[in-house]
Amino acid sequence: MQTLMKHWSTGALLLTALTSALPTARLNAQDVIVEADKIVIAFGEDGAKATVLTDSALLIRDGKVALVGDDIPAEARNSARVIDYGASTISPGFVLAATTLGRDADLAEGAIAFTPDLRAAEAFDPWQKELAQLGPAGVTAFGLAPSPRNVAGGIGAVIKPAKGQARMAMAEAFVGFSLIRQARSQERLPTSLMGALEMLRESFAAAQLGVQIGPDLEVLRQVMSGQRRAMIHANTFAELNGALDLAKAWNFAPVIIGANDADKLMSKLAAAAEGVVLAPLNPRARTADLELPKKLAEAGVPFCFAGRPDQLRLSAALAVHHGLDRNTANAALTRAPASMLGARDAIGSLRQGCGADFVVFDGDLLDLSSRHVATWVDGEVVHGTAPQGTPRPNTLNSAGGR
Amino acid sequence: MTRLLRTTFATLLLAAAASAQETVTAYTNATLMPGGKPAISNATMVVSGGKVLAIGGADLKVPEGAKVVDCGGKTITPGLIDASFRSASNQQDLNEQSEEVTPHLRILDNLDPKSPLFERARNHGVTTVHVMPGTRNVIGGLGCVIKTHGDDPKSMVIKEDASLRIVMGAEPSMSNRAIRGGRVNSIYYRRPTTRMGVIWTVRRAFYDAQEQLTKTQGAPDGAPASPGLEVLTQVLQGKLTAVTTARSEQDLRTALRIAEEFGYETVIDEAQDAYMVADELAAKRAVVMLGAPSAESVSGSAGSDGASPRSGTVAVLAAKGIRFVITTGTNRAALPLIREAMFAHRFGLGPQQALDAITIEPAKLLGLDDRIGSLAAGKDADFVIWSHDPLDPAAVAESVHINGKSVSQIR
Repeated sequence: MQTLMKHWSTGALLLTALTSALPTARLNAQDVIVEADKIVIAFGEDGAKATVLTDSALLIRDGKVALVGDDIPAEARNSARVIDYGASTISPGFVLAATTLGRDADLAEGAIAFTPDLRAAEAFDPWQKELAQLGPAGVTAFGLAPSPRNVAGGIGAVIKPAKGQARMAMAEAFVGFSLIRQARSQERLPTSLMGALEMLRESFAAAQLGVQIGPDLEVLRQVMSGQRRAMIHANTFAELNGALDLAKAWNFAPVIIGANDADKLMSKLAAAAEGVVLAPLNPRARTADLELPKKLAEAGVPFCFAGRPDQLRLSAALAVHHGLDRNTANAALTRAPASMLGARDAIGSLRQGCGADFVVFDGDLLDLSSRHVATWVDGEVVHGTAPQGTPRPNTLNSAGGR
Repeated sequence: MTRLLRTTFATLLLAAAASAQETVTAYTNATLMPGGKPAISNATMVVSGGKVLAIGGADLKVPEGAKVVDCGGKTITPGLIDASFRSASNQQDLNEQSEEVTPHLRILDNLDPKSPLFERARNHGVTTVHVMPGTRNVIGGLGCVIKTHGDDPKSMVIKEDASLRIVMGAEPSMSNRAIRGGRVNSIYYRRPTTRMGVIWTVRRAFYDAQEQLTKTQGAPDGAPASPGLEVLTQVLQGKLTAVTTARSEQDLRTALRIAEEFGYETVIDEAQDAYMVADELAAKRAVVMLGAPSAESVSGSAGSDGASPRSGTVAVLAAKGIRFVITTGTNRAALPLIREAMFAHRFGLGPQQALDAITIEPAKLLGLDDRIGSLAAGKDADFVIWSHDPLDPAAVAESVHINGKSVSQIR
C-alpha cells in the first residue's frame, strides 16, 4: 500500500509539473506533436529492416498516431502542443505477450481443469498495484492470460496501463491452454500429460462433432475456425510435441508459451507454430537458453519474451549478446508480441492509426546504459517527462528532411 | 577423341545411376547370431535401403559396387528389443492418477525420443522398445512399440496400440487413502486401498466391458462406448494384447485367474515369483516378461510388492518350456538389457536362448517378428556390432544401426 501511495504521489507531481508547464493545455482535447532526432516507426519482422525516421515527428490525435513525419502539415504546429525529446530515440512501446501480472490465483478456476470460456478480463482489477511496474519498464500493452494451472484456462485480454485506471484494449483476445507440470499438479484430473492431451483431444472432437453445445466448446470451435488465437503453455519435448500435434489435428497455429525444449523440435515448431513466448533471460541462465533466441530466429520462428516487465529489455540485450541480430531483438519487444496477440494493427508499431504507445530512450534500446526518458500510452505520459519544445521548422515542412 | 568422350560420358552416366540408388553395404568376416537360429561364423550380411538384403556364410557373394565393411571376426546380433522399457524417470509422468482405470490413455503422448534414457538404451544395443504407462493405475493405458532413434515419436512408432497394461498387487492402491486420514476432498480419497480393492476394480472394468459387448451385439451402430470401454472390449475380443504386471506369487495367480474369468489372454509382466507358479504358467501357456533377472544377484533387491526374486527363475521357466522374454522392466536397479541376458546365461540359459530372449522372442510377443528381432532377407536392418561375444562382460556395442543407419554415439 505504501508503494502504491508513493507511486501515486509521484504521478500526481508529474501531472502537476506538466500542467503547470503548459498552463493553457487541455491534454485530451488537443493534437500533440512529439519530436525527436530518431523515431523508429516499426522494427522489422521476418528479416525486414526497421522503419526509422531521423529528425522527425509524430502527430498524436485521440491517443493514436494520426500523422507521421512529412505527412504532418506545417499548419498543425499552430494549434498543437509540441513535445521535443531532442537527441533521444522514440521507439514503439514494449508489449508483454502473456502475463498473469502476479494474480495467478485469481486467474485459475480451481475445481476443474477445463474452463476455456472463463474471461481473464473479469478477474482484472484496473487499479492493481502491479500495473505500476509497467510504465517504468517501457511496457505499453500486455496480454492478461489465464493461469497455466488449468489445461484450458480461459480467454485472455489485451490491456494497456494508463495514468489512472488501466484501459481494456481487447476484452476477448486469445484462449490460453496449458500442458505444463503446473496444470497437472492440482489434485484433480489430469495429473499427467497423457491425461491432459486426452482431455483436449476429446474436447476438440466433441466441439467438432457439434452434438454437445455449451460456451466452453464454442471457444474451441472458434479456435478450429481460426477466429480465435490459441496460446499453449508447453515446455518439455513431449509437451511441445503434443501441443503441435493437437494443433495440426485441429488445424490451428498456436502461440507456444515457454518452449524450453524448442531446440529439440525446431523444424516442427517453425512449420506449425505462430510464434513462441520465451521466459525472460538473465545473465546466469544456461548458455543453451541464452542462445535459444538466436536459434529460433535462424529457424524463422517469431518469438518474444514474457515474465517480469523489468526483465524484457535485459532479455533482448542478452539475446543479442548471444548472437541474435538487433532488429529481431527489438521486434521481439514490440511487433512480434503484438502479432502474437493478433493486434499488430493497433499496437507494437507507430504506424498511422496505431496507438500512440512509445518509449523514449537517450540511446540505443538494447544498450543497457541508455537512460529511459519516458513511456507514453495512448498519447499520454505514463512514466518519465515530456519536455515542451518549439516545432522544428524543417520537420513540419513537406520538403523537410527525413 | 569422340570415342574417348563417349566412354567418359558413359562412365558419368553409370556413376550417376549408382548414386541415385541406395548404397549397398556388405558386412563381412563376422560371427553372425541371426536371432532364433545358431550362429554363423565367417558370415556376410548385405544391407541396403534400411533392410537386410541377404545373410550367409563366406560363400555369399558380395554384390558388385557394394561398400565392404570387414568386421574382423566380431559378433553381429539383431538390434535388441526391450519388451518393457521405462520411458520416463518420473513415475508421475507415467500415470494419470486422477482415476484408477484409464485404458485409453496413451504413453505415446509422453515420449521424449531425445531423453537420456533412450540414448542410454541405444548405446547398449537396444534398437526397439515396448513402452507402457506406469504401474500406479489398475488399468494404466495403451503401450506402443517404437524404435529408439528419431526426432518425432510418431515417425519412430512401429506399433501404435500394442498393449493394454493391467496391474495387480498393492502398487495401484498405494497413493490412495483409506477412510481415516487424508483430505476428504482429495482425488486420492477413493478405492482401491487394498489388493482386494485392486482386483475389484479390474473385475468391475471388465464386467462393464462385457456388458457393453452384449449391448452392442447385433447393433454395431449403437451408442458409442466411452473410449476407455472401447479399449477394454478390444481386449475381450482378442484384438489387443493384455499385459498384466504381477510380481508376487499371489498376484501371479490372480492375474491368471482374472484373465480366465473374463476369457482374455494375457502376457504376465515382471513375474518375479514366476518360479513358484511355473506349473500354472505352463498349463495356461502364458508368455512371461521377466523383469530384470539380475536384480537379486546384483543389487540384492528383495523384490517389490512382496515378491522374492531368484536368479534361477530363467532356468526354471526354460525347463518347463514356458515362453519368456527378458526385460529391464520397472526395476530401477536393472542393468542394461544385454547384461540382463548375460546374467540369465550365467544362471542357466544357453547363449542362443539368452540372446533370443532379448531379440526374436520379444519380437514374436509383440507380433513384429516379420520386421525385427532377427536378421534375414527382408527384415529391418537393425543390428549391433559387438566388441566381444555379447554375453561376455567385456562386450560393448561398438556400433548400433537402426534401419541401416548408424546411430552410435560417442560414449
